[in-house]
Amino acid sequence: MHADRTNRTMMLLLALLLIAVGLGAGAASIGLYGTHTQHSLLMDNPTGHFIGAHGIWLWPVAAVAGLIIALLALRWLIALLFSTDRSGDLVIRSSSGAGHTTLANGALTDAVVEEIEGYRGVNTARARLIGDREDPELVVTAGLDENADFTALRQRIETEALTHARQALGNMALPTQLDLTLTTKRSARVT
Amino acid sequence: MRLINRVLAALLSLALIAVSLLLIIEVIVDRASHRTAVVNWHTAYHWAQRNTWAAGSIRVICGVLIFAGLVLLIAELKPARVSRFTAGPAESGASAIDTAYTRRGLAAAIRSAVTAVDGVRSSAVKVKRRKVRIAAIASAQDRAAARSLHDPIAEAARERLTALKLRRAPSVSVRVSPRSR
Repeated sequence: MHADRTNRTMMLLLALLLIAVGLGAGAASIGLYGTHTQHSLLMDNPTGHFIGAHGIWLWPVAAVAGLIIALLALRWLIALLFSTDRSGDLVIRSSSGAGHTTLANGALTDAVVEEIEGYRGVNTARARLIGDREDPELVVTAGLDENADFTALRQRIETEALTHARQALGNMALPTQLDLTLTTKRSARVT
Repeated sequence: MRLINRVLAALLSLALIAVSLLLIIEVIVDRASHRTAVVNWHTAYHWAQRNTWAAGSIRVICGVLIFAGLVLLIAELKPARVSRFTAGPAESGASAIDTAYTRRGLAAAIRSAVTAVDGVRSSAVKVKRRKVRIAAIASAQDRAAARSLHDPIAEAARERLTALKLRRAPSVSVRVSPRSR
């Protein structure tokens, strides 16, 4: 997460702005707008005259615009530094609607990791729940031993560990992403 | 690129906050006491009143702006390096599971298959969206012996790719060099 889409959009806008300003000023500098513009002073143009003539109200308006921009930039910075795509604790509603159970996010992911790491041929595993807590997605990464039977392990993870996680959540259609990678060493685990 | 974007975004947002606050402070102080507070913007104003658009410094600044903008634009529009290779549908029949091999995992799987071929001393594997490039070094110093490993290496890599049951297996290209010493 970390506002990645906003970051990319803002960087594209900044790139276009830099190019536009560079090309615009460059065109004036090499005389594409005429020799009069080319040899006129930087402030001697309609925009400069407008700012000079309306400075009484223009600068306070610019300050207010600056305040708005500063607040938006602060919000962006906070999203950058503190946002996460992880779901919070999950709410499992009973079929009768009489009550609900709250399942700690870590409880489910720890159980999935422990089960997968217990399979022969799996060196490491990681799991996290992302997205909305009402509609989460399970993301699992398993590091397989290079001598393991990848197909068999994939099938085992899918039919056992991931199915157990789905059963625990009462959602057999839980969107799940499984990333398989190869690792050479078993990670040291603290028990 | 995502990480670089995060760093650039943090710098840009901080710059926007700093410039906006400076603008607010300068406007307030100018209105209150007709003097500058933090930045002596009178100097910049007088510089702009002295220089024309044809000034060399303006051209340099324009060149720098265009170059920086183009670099940023190309970096942002460049397609991201593929990080996951989706596996084919599960035989287990489990639904809504998006299984894939990571790029590094795929490279390691192919490297281990290639290195297991008799006569291969070491190998380096680069995995791209549509192609796997294998650079292997033979145990033999003889060029002909090294060349003879080309097909077994390609076969081993293809077998490993088939075993992984990818939805779309990349093609394989092999380069074998003899051991130098």
